[in-house]
Amino acid sequence: MYLIPIIVGTIAFAVLAPVVGCLLAGLDRKLSARMQGRVGPPILQPYYDVRKLLEKDRAAVNNVEGTYITCALVFAILAGGIFFGGGNLLLSVFVLTLSSLFFILAAYCTRSPYSEVGAAREALQIMAEEPMSLFIAVAFFLATGSFDSCAAFGLEIPAIGATWIAFLGFLFILTIKMRKSPFDLSYSHHAHQELVKGVTTEMSGRTLAKVEVMHWCENVLALGWIGLFFVWGNPVSLVVAVVAALAAFFLEILIDNNFARVKWQLMLKSAWAVALVAGGINIAVLMYL
Amino acid sequence: MAYFAKSPWVIHYDASSCNGCDIEVLAALCPGFDAERFGVINTGNPKHADIFLVTGSVNEQNISVVKEIYEQMLEPKVVVACGICACSGGIFHDCYNVIGGVDQAIPVDVYAPGCAVRPEAIIDAVVEAVGILEEKRAAMKNGKEA
Amino acid sequence: MALIGFLILFPLLVAGVLLLVGNETARRVIVCSSAVIIGFGSVWLVLANLGTPWVGIEFSSGAIDIVCTLIGLVIAAVILCFGVKYKNVLACVLAVVQVVGSLVFDVFVAHGIEVQYGLYLDSLTLVTTFIIGVVGSGICIYALGYMEDFQAHEPADAKDRRPKFFALMFLFLSAMYVIVFSNNLLWMFTGWEITTVCSFLLIGYTKTPEAINNAFRQIIMNLAGGIGFLVALFAIALTMDTLSLVEFIAVGVMAPALVALPAVALAFAGITKAAQMPFHTWLLGAMVAPTPTSALLHSSTMVKAGVFLLIKLSPIFLVCPVAAVMTILVGGLTFLLCSFMAISQTNAKRVLAYSTIANLGLIVACAGVGTPEAVWAATFLVLFHAVAKSLLFLCVGTAEHHIGSRDIEDMDLMFERMPRLARFMMAGIMIMFVAPFGMLIAKWGTLVSFADTGNVALILILGFGSAATFLFWAKWLGKLSGIAAHPLNVETTVHRSEWIALMVMAVLSMLCCVGLPVLSTFLVEPYIFDVFGVCSQGVSQANLWVAALLSAVVFVVLFGGLGSKQVKQVPVYLAGVSENNANRTFRNSLSGETMATSRNWYMEGVFGEPKITPVGVWATSIIIVVGFCAAIATLCGLL
Repeated sequence: MYLIPIIVGTIAFAVLAPVVGCLLAGLDRKLSARMQGRVGPPILQPYYDVRKLLEKDRAAVNNVEGTYITCALVFAILAGGIFFGGGNLLLSVFVLTLSSLFFILAAYCTRSPYSEVGAAREALQIMAEEPMSLFIAVAFFLATGSFDSCAAFGLEIPAIGATWIAFLGFLFILTIKMRKSPFDLSYSHHAHQELVKGVTTEMSGRTLAKVEVMHWCENVLALGWIGLFFVWGNPVSLVVAVVAALAAFFLEILIDNNFARVKWQLMLKSAWAVALVAGGINIAVLMYL
Repeated sequence: MAYFAKSPWVIHYDASSCNGCDIEVLAALCPGFDAERFGVINTGNPKHADIFLVTGSVNEQNISVVKEIYEQMLEPKVVVACGICACSGGIFHDCYNVIGGVDQAIPVDVYAPGCAVRPEAIIDAVVEAVGILEEKRAAMKNGKEA
Repeated sequence: MALIGFLILFPLLVAGVLLLVGNETARRVIVCSSAVIIGFGSVWLVLANLGTPWVGIEFSSGAIDIVCTLIGLVIAAVILCFGVKYKNVLACVLAVVQVVGSLVFDVFVAHGIEVQYGLYLDSLTLVTTFIIGVVGSGICIYALGYMEDFQAHEPADAKDRRPKFFALMFLFLSAMYVIVFSNNLLWMFTGWEITTVCSFLLIGYTKTPEAINNAFRQIIMNLAGGIGFLVALFAIALTMDTLSLVEFIAVGVMAPALVALPAVALAFAGITKAAQMPFHTWLLGAMVAPTPTSALLHSSTMVKAGVFLLIKLSPIFLVCPVAAVMTILVGGLTFLLCSFMAISQTNAKRVLAYSTIANLGLIVACAGVGTPEAVWAATFLVLFHAVAKSLLFLCVGTAEHHIGSRDIEDMDLMFERMPRLARFMMAGIMIMFVAPFGMLIAKWGTLVSFADTGNVALILILGFGSAATFLFWAKWLGKLSGIAAHPLNVETTVHRSEWIALMVMAVLSMLCCVGLPVLSTFLVEPYIFDVFGVCSQGVSQANLWVAALLSAVVFVVLFGGLGSKQVKQVPVYLAGVSENNANRTFRNSLSGETMATSRNWYMEGVFGEPKITPVGVWATSIIIVVGFCAAIATLCGLL
């Protein structure tokens, strides 16, 4: 009986997340343009891009790249379905990691120098952000008594009250998760960089379109995490959660436009330091106080 | 639907330009003209690009580079020769090493002359190129169905 | 329970026969048939007793006690013989201490104590039996082909010592059965010592100076652990007047203070056997041995004996803080630091070794926590580690013989050079580190149990350790998956026996992943219920089914769909003019040819051995010393 919400959630996520994610991506580009004193593309620009990519000629550097990317997309959607279906947060984190692994493999298998460097950096990014992702889930568990995301609806006060330190840590690694500057080491939407397009260098047409959709889904899921901490046993809280998620999204765009990319050493050390301090303190406080 | 017209991703290659036209290409993409309004993105990766902007003439050294970038772009694709050197070799046309315009190496779809080519002219050429892109897509689709 | 006796004695018999058989064909027949028999025997035992509670078997014999004493003497003689030959004083001293100690124990202390239930059976034993019987004997079959290649690589005039090798392998299996079935601690100790000396001989098999050196390191560390075991035996016999494992645990749960010293001493023995820091170097050194030895030592036997004992003791750890804290801290630190160090290694076998030590660390930490959820997780970690790691060791061994290197960088393009092997390897690697496969589900259970028991330090350790685990496996996986240059397929010459063993391991690992919920219900939970009286698991059954389903999907993709779809192929982007795109060469600025290559990241500046090893060795040594002091203090306080 536990599985039904997950299946429903996955189907709903598969339909809705690309729509929401696409609009968010369009908003991102529009806002970024405004911050740079430009007009910017239409809100639906990411949609046009993906539709165009779907119409491009189909070709790849090998036979397996497309399969890996399909797996990555499917597992990203499943991770979202588990999260929004009220399922286990850790399972969602793990399935998302699996999705990222397939994404990394797709880059490695091309054995193109730029892709490979991008893939190595992507793996490093996951290593940098994963501890905090686990700690925030544990903090949520300690605050609510359950690892299931639906437990948030049974709360008197939102989880943020007890987990705000870990939440701040999560905001920090959210930049890594969304691949925004200063942590867009593996690839970025900005042109002219030493890695060409990093992980996605060898991906084109349909495959690249899948990658874009996957990123939309990932972003929606990441913002879902933000919202989760603002939900309690009152329907109004959903509005609060959406507002909080949007605020976090705006913050990410602001950071993206104001920071230059850092070296991997700084990313790893800062992300781990934040995870250790924010995660450690919050978990300790919840356990012992 | 005309998605190619709404999302023309470009790649820019400096064949043997004096850098005058290169500056103008970048100017066209900068906030002043804000080509992203029309969905233009400078990808820097032939596998992602739809429109190939070449500046400068083709010579013995770079002809193979131009050809390789062109070949790595996926169909449908369009080439824009930016500046008079890219169109015909310009003032360098009778230099010992210069082969000539870009069309000596690859098929060129749009010629945007000028020394240096103005950003307005480049944007104009891209708009022209987008139309050709759509035509090529239609041809590709029909070819597949046929 | 004739089957138990059979499982212990049959490998012993086979070992004896193999020692005498020099003929290649005869050996082949004997090894294959007896491995199959042992495998089926083990599976039969497991199936016949599925879900069994603790069942004691009334069996005690003074004759066996005397045999144990004699075996102890033989072991000491063997070690002394080698110690004198290679002038290793420390090994000789430890061997003498141990033999004198055990003689004193046997004659003066153990003499009057009778253990009614000499042998026993419970669900944890079944899990371990399954691992020893199926994985262990699979490795023996694999060794046939491997050792043939190995012998071919030796100089022509080298003596063929394979009879001894195979005899030792089977002796090892027999000793492992003794350890898991014995309720009589004295018998268990004998089995324990046999495994120590067998692995000593197996590690030193090649007789190179390096191998001899590492073999002595192993024997010294494990003799120290054996002395710890002996101390525990003295303490148990003197304070409790028993030598029965189950009675010891029952008393321990009632009177934690009384068992503090034996619990710490046994934990120490387990820690050395499971190659935890500061004793991890013996396992790293063991990598010089032929690969089947590494696989046998690291996946199914030797190290599993250590964690088996610790998991058995977990009810005591739950109530005895001194032993528990020591075990948890040593295990946790080992997991964290060895995961870090694995990042910096290019040698595939060393990566496997570090990952083994790290995973054992996690098992040790779980056993130390001792709650039902933690033990559930630990049992699964043991199982999945055994199947997946043996698969990986065997893959690396085969790869080494065919590509001539065990360096991960040289495993580039394996996806096409050895397509089938590469896929097995990829499956093995994935099972080791990523959800929805077994190891990660077990880690998930671990995390839940740590969160439940309020263990902040362990949660932090697990978070960072798992992240490091991701990196070192992912980059290896990436290297394997590369496709370029259409290399020659070199796996056509792999021996059939190797394929059979690899196939068994691969199928077994995948079945375990897909059958996870079933295994939990029928194999692991009965043990938890038996020991703790509650049915509790960290990961809900529904989530286990989700994981099982996803695993099945990934396996289907990996072995079914991957590479079957034909697409239009284009060259890769090399930012310039390609000379030979398939080989990734491009024209450089001097119009010459350059190959685009990239190596994985090893980040030695951050995760290098010289930086991390001293920290771990010092910290864990201090923890162990403090643990012993606290245990002695507890005992003194009691008296």
